[in-house]
Amino acid sequence: MAAAAAAPVASQAQAVLRKRLCDPAFVHSPLKSSPDTNYSKLKYLVASSVSEACNNSVLLLGPRGCGKGAVLDMVLEDLKKEHPDAISVIRLNGMLHSDDNCAMKDIARQLCLQHELSFSKMASSDDNTEFMIDMLRECGLAHKTVIFILEEFDLFAQGKQRLLYSLLDAMQSLTSQAVVIGMSCRLDADQLLEKRVRSRFSHRKLLFIPSSLDDIQSLTEHLLMLDQASVLPTNYVTEYNSRLTSIFNHKKFKGILNSLTDADATTSNILRFLFRVVSYMDKESGLLSIDCFTNALSCMQRQPKMDSLQDLSILELYVLVCMNRLEDKEQNSYNFNTIMKEYKSIQDAYKTSDKYATTVCFRAFEHLLDRELITFADTKGRNIALEYRPVKLLISSRELAESLKLNTTCPTVLQKLLDRERYM
Amino acid sequence: MSQPVTPRRSTRSTASAPDSPCSPPKSPKSRPKPPPRRQLLPAAAAEPEEKNTLDALLEALPGRRTQVTDLLRLLAPAPALPVMLHGGAATGKTRALLLALRHLRPSPRLAYAALRSLPSPRALFASILSQLNPIPSSNSSRRRIPDKPSDFIAILRDALAGFVAQGEPACLVFDNLEVVRGWDKGAQLISLLLRLHDLLRLPQVVLVYVSSATPDAYYTMTGSVEPNYVYFPDYTVEEANDILMRGHPNPKLYSSFLSVVLKPLFRVTRRVDELAAALEPLFRKYCEPLGDLKVVPDEGIKRRLFEHLQPHLAVVLNETFSVPMRALVGEFKNGSSSGKGNVKWHFGGRDGLSSELEFHMSVSAKYLLLSAFLASRNPATLDAALFDSTGGSDSRNCKRKSSQASIDRKDTMAEEMLMKGPGTFPLERLLAIFQCITSVSEDVLNEVECPDSIIGGSGMTGLMSDVLLQLSTLCNSNFLSKSRSCPLEGSARYRSNVNEDLALKVARSVGFPLSKYMYRR
Repeated sequence: MAAAAAAPVASQAQAVLRKRLCDPAFVHSPLKSSPDTNYSKLKYLVASSVSEACNNSVLLLGPRGCGKGAVLDMVLEDLKKEHPDAISVIRLNGMLHSDDNCAMKDIARQLCLQHELSFSKMASSDDNTEFMIDMLRECGLAHKTVIFILEEFDLFAQGKQRLLYSLLDAMQSLTSQAVVIGMSCRLDADQLLEKRVRSRFSHRKLLFIPSSLDDIQSLTEHLLMLDQASVLPTNYVTEYNSRLTSIFNHKKFKGILNSLTDADATTSNILRFLFRVVSYMDKESGLLSIDCFTNALSCMQRQPKMDSLQDLSILELYVLVCMNRLEDKEQNSYNFNTIMKEYKSIQDAYKTSDKYATTVCFRAFEHLLDRELITFADTKGRNIALEYRPVKLLISSRELAESLKLNTTCPTVLQKLLDRERYM
Repeated sequence: MSQPVTPRRSTRSTASAPDSPCSPPKSPKSRPKPPPRRQLLPAAAAEPEEKNTLDALLEALPGRRTQVTDLLRLLAPAPALPVMLHGGAATGKTRALLLALRHLRPSPRLAYAALRSLPSPRALFASILSQLNPIPSSNSSRRRIPDKPSDFIAILRDALAGFVAQGEPACLVFDNLEVVRGWDKGAQLISLLLRLHDLLRLPQVVLVYVSSATPDAYYTMTGSVEPNYVYFPDYTVEEANDILMRGHPNPKLYSSFLSVVLKPLFRVTRRVDELAAALEPLFRKYCEPLGDLKVVPDEGIKRRLFEHLQPHLAVVLNETFSVPMRALVGEFKNGSSSGKGNVKWHFGGRDGLSSELEFHMSVSAKYLLLSAFLASRNPATLDAALFDSTGGSDSRNCKRKSSQASIDRKDTMAEEMLMKGPGTFPLERLLAIFQCITSVSEDVLNEVECPDSIIGGSGMTGLMSDVLLQLSTLCNSNFLSKSRSCPLEGSARYRSNVNEDLALKVARSVGFPLSKYMYRR
C-alpha cells in the first residue's frame, strides 16, 4: 500500500520540480535578495527613469543562457506592481523584426493594443513612425513610460539601422519618456552602431557572465530542495531533502559539477542538466540518487561523432580507412574513384573476405555522406557525377582509431592498416 | 470516472494524476493493437479507457527500450524543455516519438511537421497553424497564411496560449530538421525553429525536433535553451534479427535463414530497410528446394538449404538492388523524371544490365550515346586521327617509343582522369563524331540493319531534328548532362555520365567496335 501511495507522490514531486526548472523567474529569484547584482542595478536604472520621467537606454550583454531575459522580466514584473499604470512594454526580437518596416508596424500594433486604439494594418511605414512619435509624446505628457525591449539587439544593427535611429532620435525630445533596453549575446554590440545612432545612445552596459562553481552549487540547492509548505506529504519531503543533502556532500558530486561547468557554466546548461536529473527520479520512491546525476552527466557529454562512428558497418569503416590513408599520403584531393583504387589495392594485398562490388561500396559511400562523416570538398560543380566530386573526411584519424578500438566486430586488418600508416 | 471527460475538466483530473504514465497500470485490459503510424490523433476525442501500457509500447518498438524510456521521462509531465531526437536513417526516431506521444496521458495536442514535405517556410507555417486550429473550409478563405516569421509567431502564440489556458498540453514536432540547412535562407528558419522556446515563452508547450544530422550541426543556431538530446543508435545484429523476425509465418525456418544470412549482409549495411529489401528475394531462393513452407527444418534440411543458397548469397552481397527485366522500362522512366544529379539509377541500371542486356532504346539513340561517350573520354585533338576516312582502325597501329618522362606524364594524366571524370564537349563535336561512326558502321558492318534510312539517306535536316530530339531525351534521362554554357564559346556543353561497362555493352548490342576508338593512355 505504501508503495502504491508513493508513486503519485513521485510524479507530483517531479511536476513541482519541473515547473521550477522551466520558470526563469524562480530560477533567478535568489538575485532579488542580494544587493549588488545586475538585477538591482537594472531595477534602479529603469525605476529611476520611470519616477524621474526621463529617457534612458541600456544594453544587456552576455553569452546565451546567462539570464539576461529572465532578469529583465523580473525587473519589469516588479515595476509593473510598483507603478501599475505608468508602464507599457513593447517587445521586439531581432530574429523576427530585423526588417525596419515590419518592426515599425509591430511597434504600432503593440502600442494600439496597450492603449486600446484600433490598429490599421494598411498604414504605411511613415504613418507608423509618425504614430509612434505622437504616442511617445502623448505618453510623456501623461507621465507614462514606454519601455522598448530589443532582443537580439545585434540583428537590429544590420542594414541601415533606421529603426534604431528613429527610436533613439524620438527620445531626444524633452516631452517623451521612454527606455530602450537592448539584449545581445555579442559583447561588441554597441560597436556595430552607426555614428548617428551611437551618439544618441547612452553607453550604459550591463555584463552578464556565467556563474561560479559556488553559485552553481547554491543554485542547485535552491532548485532541488523541496520546502515543507507544499502540497507534498511532510515525511516524504523530509526524506527527500535529507537524501539530497547527503548527495550534495558526496565527494563525487563536486566532480560532476566540475566536469559539467568545465564545458559550459551558463545557467541554461545547469538547468538542462538538472532537468535530466529530475527526469531520472526513481518512480517508485520519488527520491533522487547520485546515479541520477551521473547518468544525466553521461547523457550531456555524448560525442555525436563518436556515436555515429560506432554505428558504421564494416564496409563503411573500410571506406573511411581508405580515405584516411589517402589523406596521410598527402593527396590533396580525392574522390570516390580514387578511394576505390585504394580499396582495391588493400583487398589485393590482404585478400580479405570483405571485397565487394563498386556499387555496394558506392552505397556505403552514400551512407557516410548521409551521416556527415565525410562531405564534398567543394560546393560548386553540382552537375558532375557524385563519384567524381572531391570529398574530405570530417573526422580526425584519432577519432577513427579510437572507434576502431572500441568496435568489437571490427576486423584486425583494418586496425593494422590504420596503425601502420601512422607509424611508418 | 462517471462524468464525460471534457478537455477542460481533464486537467484537474490529471493534476491529481490517476492515469498519468508514471502510475502503475491498474487494469491489464490493454489493447495490444498498435495504432497506425503517423495518424495525428485528435486529442480530446481519445477514449478514456483506452490505455496502452508501457509494455505494449516497448513491444511495438523492439530494441529501443532505453531511448523510449528516456523520451517518456523527458516528455512526461507538462512543463518540459525542448527535446531533440537524433540518429541515423531508419533507426525508428519518428515512430518511437509518435508512439510515445500517443502513450502519454493526457495526450497532448499535437502538430507534426515533416519538413521534407513542406518545402517552404510558408507551407510549414500553414501546416502547423491548420493542425492547431482546424477551421471549417467555409472559414478558411478568411484566414491569411502568414508569410513573415513575426506574424507566424504571433498567431502561433495566440493559438497555443488558448490551449495552455485550458490546461491542455500541446506538442510541436519538427521532423527532418536537417533538410532545412540546404534551403535558401535555411539557417534563419532553423534558428527560428530552435528558438521557439524563447520566442513563445510558453513552457507548457513541448517542442520536439527530429534530425538525422548530429547536434553539432545546430550548435550555432540554438537560442538560450538548448534541447535535450536523445540519441538513437543503429540497431545491433540481435536487434535487427528481432525486427526482421517479426510477423513471420514460419519463424523456425526464417530464423535458420537469418542465422546464415544476416551476419554477412550486416557487414555491408546496417540499415534495416535495406536489409529487408535484400533478404526478401533471398528468402524466396532459400525456400525453393522446399515443397512445403510450413516445414520445421532440422539440421539436414538446413545444411541442404544453405548449400543451395550459398552461390546466391555472394551475388546479393555485391548488389545494391536487382531489377526484374520487365520493370526496366519503368526504371528508366523513373530515372528521367527524377531529374539530374541522381546517379543512383545508373548503378542500379547497370546491375540490371549485367545479367542480360535488354535495352529499350532506338538504334540511333544508342549511337548517339556511344558518340557522346567517345567525345567525353577522348581528347578533342585526337578526333581527326581517329575518325579519318579509313575509319580509324589502322591509325592505332603506330606506336611511339615511350620515354620515362612520357610515362610519368601518363601517370599523372591517368590520375587526373580519375579525379576529373569525363570531359565536356560542344554539340558540334558530338554531331561530327556521330556522323563518322554511323557512316563507318554502315560501311563496315552491313549486316546491322540500323541507322535507318533517315540517317543514311535523306538530307541533313531530317537527321538533325531527329538527333536533337534523341539528345534531349538522353539528357532528360541523365545519360548525358548539359552544363552551363561556356563563357567563351557561348553554346551549351555536354558531358556523358555513362561508364565504360555500360558503353561497351551498348556497343556490343549494335555491333560497334567501340574499343578501337577509345584512346588509351
